[in-house]
Amino acid sequence: MSGFLSYMNGDSILHRLNPLTKLLMSAALCASCFLTHRHSVVIGVIVFNLCMSYSAGGLKRSLAMSVSFIKLALLLFVLQVFFVREGNIILTLPLNIYITDKGALFSSLFSLRLVAATMPLAIMLSVTRMSDISNVLAQKLRIPYKYTFALTTAIRFIPIFSEEMAGIAEAQTARGVEFDTKNFFKKIRLLLPLCVPLLISSVRKIEGSAISAELRGFNLRTRECGYKTYRFGLRDAGALVLTAAIIAAAVLI
Amino acid sequence: MIRINSVSFRYGESLRNAISDVSLTIDDGDFLGIIGASGAGKSTLVYSINGVIPHHFRGDFFGEVLVDGMDTVQTRPEELAKFVGSVHQDIDSQMVASVVEDEILFGLENFKTPHSEIELRIEEALAAAGISGLRDRDIGSLSGGQKQKVAIAAIIALRPKIILLDEPTGELDPQSSRKVFETLRELNERFGITVIVVEQKIMLLCEFSKHLAVMERGGMILNGLVHEVLQRADKLEEAGVNIPRVTTLARKLRERGLYSGAMPLDLDGARVMMREAMRDAAL
Repeated sequence: MSGFLSYMNGDSILHRLNPLTKLLMSAALCASCFLTHRHSVVIGVIVFNLCMSYSAGGLKRSLAMSVSFIKLALLLFVLQVFFVREGNIILTLPLNIYITDKGALFSSLFSLRLVAATMPLAIMLSVTRMSDISNVLAQKLRIPYKYTFALTTAIRFIPIFSEEMAGIAEAQTARGVEFDTKNFFKKIRLLLPLCVPLLISSVRKIEGSAISAELRGFNLRTRECGYKTYRFGLRDAGALVLTAAIIAAAVLI
Repeated sequence: MIRINSVSFRYGESLRNAISDVSLTIDDGDFLGIIGASGAGKSTLVYSINGVIPHHFRGDFFGEVLVDGMDTVQTRPEELAKFVGSVHQDIDSQMVASVVEDEILFGLENFKTPHSEIELRIEEALAAAGISGLRDRDIGSLSGGQKQKVAIAAIIALRPKIILLDEPTGELDPQSSRKVFETLRELNERFGITVIVVEQKIMLLCEFSKHLAVMERGGMILNGLVHEVLQRADKLEEAGVNIPRVTTLARKLRERGLYSGAMPLDLDGARVMMREAMRDAAL
């Protein structure tokens, strides 16, 4: 998943949409997954996400990202499926554990929703510059720049911290810690102590970032400082109509 | 001009001073290298010049730092930043944007640069740092050397009078380190920007700096023209600074009475020195 939130340069329609339109689209796509109770609609949203990604030239990245989400979704499926006791039993296991038809349907929908709902925002973030997001939120939604900057900085730091964690894990591996174990719980147990060095290094990085921003006039910034303007055009209107249609389909089907 | 008058600073939680009674004058257009072992107080000195100390890091601050006549205690760091551009050690944490162009734009927007000037400033800064081709690149995809140049370009765009760099080549290979210093020399010579650079690679400092300051345990033990400072090899050794090989060679030749000229600063200087020494030996 390395670099899954990093900006993907391009000139596709998705790239050229107003950042606010992109955020609204991703929120709407996410909401549509929870408004429907049909697997087919959720699968449709996943396909739509992949089509958007293809049009922006990032299909390969999205597929790689989906694999990670699917792994997480499978884990959630397994955790969920044994806890729903209603419905007809379709599989019986020892120790009074069984799977019902309702449980399987609910868990699979839940897992599909996870994949479908997390993809739009990740795709939109990969085709939108962080500075555009913070600027458009400040200019159009009148949110103070300090907050929008903090939000985009937090998102920007995710891959940095992920790389940092990988670096710390590599250093520990070199000392003989076996992180390549297939036992999930053992892996978690091994990773937990690494949170301390990660926390220390994160605090240091955040402080460095704050100093750097301060030394480049961050505290002097006002809403009017933005160089770029973000106008809504026909393209944005079209995208919003399409999004509205998806929401309507999710509610009506 | 920067005047540092008897400055001492102790971080809030610390028991000892990070810098003690440091005095230094840096003229406009100078290229000053600051060197010293870890914990010598180099970064603290840099933070005292750009106002991060005492405004960001709290502690006991004594003395006075005047940057272009402005007292750093009375002036907010963002006001000082109009004159002093800073590039810090950890380059990843210095970046505030995801794309090179936006990184440069950030400071320009904050300082309310007229919109008509912005495009020109971005192009100029990218060209001066030698990264015009990276304008639309994602910062995460750049090498350490390229990121360093982006950080420098972001500062150049603000057209500061002074550029402060804290170990800018710490994570770079020798070739990239050299390129960063070449960029700094060009800024110093072409635009008259005062460059102050904290660095551990003494050969680079000897080759590119005009003046050299050596710090040890919070104090400034040597300060002067590079070749003057290199004459005090004993002091440099005491301060835990690696002495350039050409300096060691010159010292040995001097001890044996084979050379009495100026201290060489680089390989070209060493070649001249060897020629002289061999000629004297032949006589």
